[in-house]
Amino acid sequence: MEQILATTLRSAAPLVLVAMAGVFAFRAGIFHLGLEGLMIAGAFATVAVGDTTGSVELGVLAAIGVCLLLSALYWWVIGPLGANVIIAGLGLTSIGLGGTAYALGAIFDVRGSLFTDVVLPRPVTGSTSGAGVIISEHSIFVWITPVIVLAAWVVLRRSRFGLRLAAVGEYPFAARSAGVNPSMVRLQALLIGGALCALGGAELSVGALRNFTENMTNGRGFIAFVAVIFGAWHPIGAAFAGLFFGFADAIGIQSQINITERVPREFVLMIPFVLTIFAVWLGGLWRRRSLEAEAGYAELREPDF
Amino acid sequence: MTSGLRRAASTVVLVVVSFLITALILRVSGYSVGDVLSGIIQGAITATGASTSSIRWAIPLLLIALGVVIGFRAGFFNIGGQGQFYMGACSALAISLGWREGPAGLVILCGTLAAMLAGVLWSLFPGWLRVRFGTDEVLTTLMMSFIGALVLQYLTAGPMRNPQGTGQTAASERIPEAFRLTGGSGVSLTVLLLVAGVTVLVWLVLERTRFGLTMTLVGRNATMARWQGINVRRVGLGAFALSGALAGLAGAVELYGPAARLVTGFSPEVGFTAVVVALVGLLNVWGTVVAAIFFGGLQAAILFLPIVTDLPPPALVLLHGMVAFLVTIKFRAVRRRRAAQAEAQAG
Repeated sequence: MEQILATTLRSAAPLVLVAMAGVFAFRAGIFHLGLEGLMIAGAFATVAVGDTTGSVELGVLAAIGVCLLLSALYWWVIGPLGANVIIAGLGLTSIGLGGTAYALGAIFDVRGSLFTDVVLPRPVTGSTSGAGVIISEHSIFVWITPVIVLAAWVVLRRSRFGLRLAAVGEYPFAARSAGVNPSMVRLQALLIGGALCALGGAELSVGALRNFTENMTNGRGFIAFVAVIFGAWHPIGAAFAGLFFGFADAIGIQSQINITERVPREFVLMIPFVLTIFAVWLGGLWRRRSLEAEAGYAELREPDF
Repeated sequence: MTSGLRRAASTVVLVVVSFLITALILRVSGYSVGDVLSGIIQGAITATGASTSSIRWAIPLLLIALGVVIGFRAGFFNIGGQGQFYMGACSALAISLGWREGPAGLVILCGTLAAMLAGVLWSLFPGWLRVRFGTDEVLTTLMMSFIGALVLQYLTAGPMRNPQGTGQTAASERIPEAFRLTGGSGVSLTVLLLVAGVTVLVWLVLERTRFGLTMTLVGRNATMARWQGINVRRVGLGAFALSGALAGLAGAVELYGPAARLVTGFSPEVGFTAVVVALVGLLNVWGTVVAAIFFGGLQAAILFLPIVTDLPPPALVLLHGMVAFLVTIKFRAVRRRRAAQAEAQAG
């Protein structure tokens, strides 16, 4: 049981970090399907630079740099250049997945996995029994995840930027009349999201593990997006949704070990996807109350920059 | 220039730009672009069996992309082709393995119909949620796709696993040779005729029938279509069903053609690439045919490339991503905004 809870925290941390990125994008009115690509780019950059320089800090900084750059490009393509948000987002995901797997072969000349000695610091270690196992052996990013969630909540709720973001996401026309440039606010939201995805990716590669593997995100970016929807695009809600999916993941890992006979692992892995369909259905029902809201929702796909 | 030509020109430009950026990335990471290019030409066209291989990869892309075209025409983003394709292949496999002694023609027919039905069901569920409750289909079709991939994984690792199978990836048993429409090359006259027939049929439905016209109207402006007395829900369901049927058919063709058995996570990119193909094909049937052959050729080439260079195959995923990232850019929107800015400054 302790082991399941510990695994839950470890699986949930990257999901929650990336989900926060999704929350910022969603609040800005962007349906961000490129999270997966940003996350894997972050995971790769951390290992690539961290392993080369021997410094995990430099690795994380490089990951943040790469994700900021990709986010800015994504903004440029869907904003000023008017590309479709969904298609460009899926394209970004493919660029991330394909680009990192390509770079793994082209730069490091390996297929599959790149192992490294660098690892994120782990504040609490050494417990082998009892409740200590739950909090032991987690990387620093697991510890700061709740702080980031709270910070995201405060920023969205209390800051000037958060209010502008809400205005831009809900009614860009009104935001513009109030002298806010929606396009710039969206850029800021995407950049914040990029940095968060980099942290999520870094946690995935050098937080819980010590390697980068091709396609190691394995749909986690999408699950994080799902957590955003499931958590009603509220940071706390999304965080709990991420925690829940982390729990499902932990059960899945456990079931691989001992209960495979009863519940095939694939069905456990389906849980987030099935729940999402349900959540999107429910959310849609709720939103359909007014025609205007539906029009606003449609705008998520083609935001007016 | 007419607007169609202009769109075609801008798409070609964007595809070329995507290729150039990817070529630049290859160059920077130390590969000779010339070698890669000549490898692509050999692998897609000139080497022995290369053009057959290009067609083999173009077939599933074309069938799924035609489904995407139908969805987009009616205004729906059915991006779940991958799952529908998998479910089609699984259903055809179940029929073929369950009825090994049956007459080949009948089994293939039943298997294909079952595949199309499975594709329809996998697509119609999100479609029904969309038209009945307004549930966003982008997410639901994507989720159904992930679920489909897990179902395939479950079936090939569990109930349908080949007990004699060795190797790391789980795979099903092979279907009897009598049920196969092609050899390992994946191309035969039967399959080509089938695909050509389906393509013409889709073109007829889209461009020459009442239903196709209604669908286009719904896609352009659903509210207006509703006011004109069109049953928008029924048209939407029809579009989802057709698009799922095509992806399911692609699964059956894959099984009875080149695959003969199913492996966990086979052709993992085909659903997404099909969306790219449909967009590059300008959501037009013949444009999609051209785009499918083009991307099929690339797929064939990337499998051939390791013979001539040591380019890592994921370069292709990167290229597809680049095309998707850029292909929907609207030059017109850019020009209009520039003009507005210039006007604002002048005024």
